[in-house]
Amino acid sequence: MSVGRPFPTQEIGSLPKFSWRTKPFRGMALDEEDIAAAEVWGRRLGVPRRSELQKVLSRRANFSDAERRTIVDFSLLYAIRMGETAGAGLAESEGLDLVWSGEQARTEMYETPVSNIAGFEFIGRVRSFDNKYWRMASIRDKPSYKNNYHADELSFTARHAKRKIKVPITDAITIMAWSDNHYYTAKWAREKVSPLRRSFNARREFTLDLAKIIRRVIRELVERQGVEEVQIDIPAATQYQSVDDIKLVAESFNETTRGLSATFSVHSCFPPKFGYKILFPYILEMKKCERFSFEYGNRDTYRRGQDPESRAGFADLKLFKEYGYRQGLGVGVVHVHTDVLPTVGVVMDRVLYSAKITELDPRLLYINPDCGLRTRRPEVAQRMLDLVVAGAERARGELGAS
Amino acid sequence: MVTEFTLSLTGSHAREEGTIQATQDWERGRIDSASLKAAFREDCDSLVDLQRRVGADYISDGQLTTAWQDPLSPVTAGFEGLKKGPMVRWYNTNTFYYAPVIEGDISSDGRAFWNRVGRRYAKTGRLRLAIPDPLTFSELAVDRHYNRTASEGGKDRALFAYADALNAELRTLERNRVSYVQFSCPALVARFREKPVRRERLGQLGEAIRAAKRGTSIRTGFHTYFGDASPYLPAIFDAIPVDDIGFDLTQTDPASLSSTRKGIIAGVADARTTYLESLDELGDRVGAVIERTGSTRITLAPSSDLRYIPRVSGDEKLRRLGALKEELRGGGS
Repeated sequence: MSVGRPFPTQEIGSLPKFSWRTKPFRGMALDEEDIAAAEVWGRRLGVPRRSELQKVLSRRANFSDAERRTIVDFSLLYAIRMGETAGAGLAESEGLDLVWSGEQARTEMYETPVSNIAGFEFIGRVRSFDNKYWRMASIRDKPSYKNNYHADELSFTARHAKRKIKVPITDAITIMAWSDNHYYTAKWAREKVSPLRRSFNARREFTLDLAKIIRRVIRELVERQGVEEVQIDIPAATQYQSVDDIKLVAESFNETTRGLSATFSVHSCFPPKFGYKILFPYILEMKKCERFSFEYGNRDTYRRGQDPESRAGFADLKLFKEYGYRQGLGVGVVHVHTDVLPTVGVVMDRVLYSAKITELDPRLLYINPDCGLRTRRPEVAQRMLDLVVAGAERARGELGAS
Repeated sequence: MVTEFTLSLTGSHAREEGTIQATQDWERGRIDSASLKAAFREDCDSLVDLQRRVGADYISDGQLTTAWQDPLSPVTAGFEGLKKGPMVRWYNTNTFYYAPVIEGDISSDGRAFWNRVGRRYAKTGRLRLAIPDPLTFSELAVDRHYNRTASEGGKDRALFAYADALNAELRTLERNRVSYVQFSCPALVARFREKPVRRERLGQLGEAIRAAKRGTSIRTGFHTYFGDASPYLPAIFDAIPVDDIGFDLTQTDPASLSSTRKGIIAGVADARTTYLESLDELGDRVGAVIERTGSTRITLAPSSDLRYIPRVSGDEKLRRLGALKEELRGGGS
């Protein structure tokens, strides 16, 4: 479902956490700089009741549970405002069309769900790239529902956001792929099937057991809290790459959304060398997906132009047209794992080139950063959101559709 | 015939929690570079000590250094003609590498790996290195210079240019008493939806490895992982001129292996899960390898690098392989 204007804008999910948000949870004392940043950013973002936050932060250490709750609530507010004010000073009209609270209430997109699903046990950190790690959990028993780990953040965000919200939710494939599949590997270890089939069966059974739990989480958000828009986050969609595995990505999505009534989109990013073509045509079997939001800026050049060479990173967008897909797309126009920023002109070129090669109604082309912005510093993340808003606005202007 | 069993790691290893914390502290400016280096050194020593205790015949430094952040980073940083490209998923893992972008002729002064390896272990005469093989490099690099023609039946110039640069590397490694080089080759088998590599290309890969080894006598292996090697059997044994050929036996059915006089790197312990196979399970896999290949030199190994599971779990896998070696040697074969 489109918001009704060309090139609507959205975040993908996470935003960076300020030091005043993280330190109290790591047992670290706040310093002057942390407290000052809260005030400076709060003023810049127009966050109300800042004195309440300043009062709590002035304790510097040994925060009570209630005070830590206040800190998290304010970090949600800051993140909402970051989305709602994106583009200020760079664009004529500010704010993303779809916002979220930056996953500020979550430890991380993987850690939060596995902490709240029974059967997992954290076993240590594993490196993903450079000096970035994730805390791996091992599945030691059949997983089961413990509680709804998104209910509180949704409730808060819905009360405070002035724009339409979209809830990002980590899917079963990703939880499976980032976890240690101990339980199901053991279960299948002695089955008389080929090694390839044995490992696939262990993945599939794990995934579908998780999908049922996630469906319950979403159903509660939709039916009890009235969520209208859900983004199913599948960064691991391109991890296991056999035909069976890609079919499982679609099967898992369908199982997760079965019987639910909301607008569903899918986000994925950082595919292997084959790019997103590895997902085709099977992802088009995701029955309820109305928008695929993938990352493209990462592989693109930083030079101006709306030609295939300048916009090399966007080549995979053609796949959607080739396979006859005519619904919505989210287009990642800013690479998020670098502080090197494109110009507004380059972002505009990326937007217009995307429209040109997909031949989609611009109202169906959502513009976003490549991925969540949690790894960037707040000032860089803010600038990236500014570029998304300003680039989309310039593109609208070029189309005469502002 | 008596089977000789050796034990070895096959690539990078996970960092200890203390090292992980040190990298994060360093990034946040809480510790200096010397402290970070000390943390890695201690981590490396601990891994080497464990390998000695479990009876590893070769020693790996586990690539425990920030100078080896991803499998291709020493190549991109140390070879001429390359620059760091986009971040791309490393096969079917949740880890990523920066694609090397070929922008000019590839060459090396021979020190790209030597400058990044735990040199102090070389004096043991047992240091083993795992480096990207020519096919993996050629398939993962973004070629803006040679304009690859292999798919049209032509010679893959990037493949051979990389192999020539590797030759300078191998000479340096040999001169400095590195005793074993493993060409790590996921590209051959981790093809998922791609067709298997054609016989002519396998032949080119063999030629490239011959070029990389030219003028050296260092012991070498060629390890395939993350996929099923059966489409290349038995051709791989003749095509690839190394001492040992390796298989990920969590993906390749041992029943598909065939007779060879070469050594086998038997990737029997699943490096992608903490599920710890029993000695019986591992022993069955090794038994099947011996029965099918008739090889008299078997390297007991994890299926791939052990960096995909936390350090404590990787160390457990290594200990279990040590126990397996002990049992197999004790039992005689």
